[in-house]
Amino acid sequence: MEFTALFLAVTIVMLAAWWGTRALALALFAVTFVACVATYLHHASDVLKLSF
Amino acid sequence: MTRSLAVALNVLGLYAIALVLAAAFAAQLLLDELPCPLCLLQRIQFALLAVGPILNVRFGPRPSHYAASLLVAAAGAAVAMRQILLHIMPGDPGYGSALLGYHYYTWAFIGFAVAIVLIAAMLLFDREFEDDAQPVAVGAFARTGVWLVIGLTALNVISTLLECGFAACPDNPLAYELLKRMR
Repeated sequence: MEFTALFLAVTIVMLAAWWGTRALALALFAVTFVACVATYLHHASDVLKLSF
Repeated sequence: MTRSLAVALNVLGLYAIALVLAAAFAAQLLLDELPCPLCLLQRIQFALLAVGPILNVRFGPRPSHYAASLLVAAAGAAVAMRQILLHIMPGDPGYGSALLGYHYYTWAFIGFAVAIVLIAAMLLFDREFEDDAQPVAVGAFARTGVWLVIGLTALNVISTLLECGFAACPDNPLAYELLKRMR
């Protein structure tokens, strides 16, 4: 679900970059980028099921 | 490098990103290989990488637009590197099939590394940042590139919704969860 939301957010950022103001696009970009990094850190902190 | 040449190179960058997103879709649909959560995150980073070039085409090249793309490329490389390291042990077959000897996440790492080098190279030319008050002439080729990337990203919204449904995406997806529930 979070990945669907991120793809949707990126689509909105692109539309804002193409149609909206520069400030709005950069602000939305920053929010989306932080959400991507947070999603990555959430997955990176999962316990790894490794067998050595 | 003139401003118009820099914009033209940014348009080519958009087509390159569209090619990457289309290739990922082709692997998903033709080989029936559903992307894992980290694979999806790499796709998202490739799509987000296009925001800088779109801003450069619309408003003219600016260092802040390149900086945005550099941040995304570095984050994308980190995600791809994590997936490479998850499968680094000898005997691990890796996730998904390989293309020309490398798995998709290895190609993604190479793609993000190339993006970092190319963006840094673009920042070397100061002349493209002069006359930034002049409006940028956007042709059909540029408009097509922008809409191609936006369209492919929007298709990923639908595809990911079908794959994951309204729950967390499975680590090793085998079927489209939403379609399975609808049957």
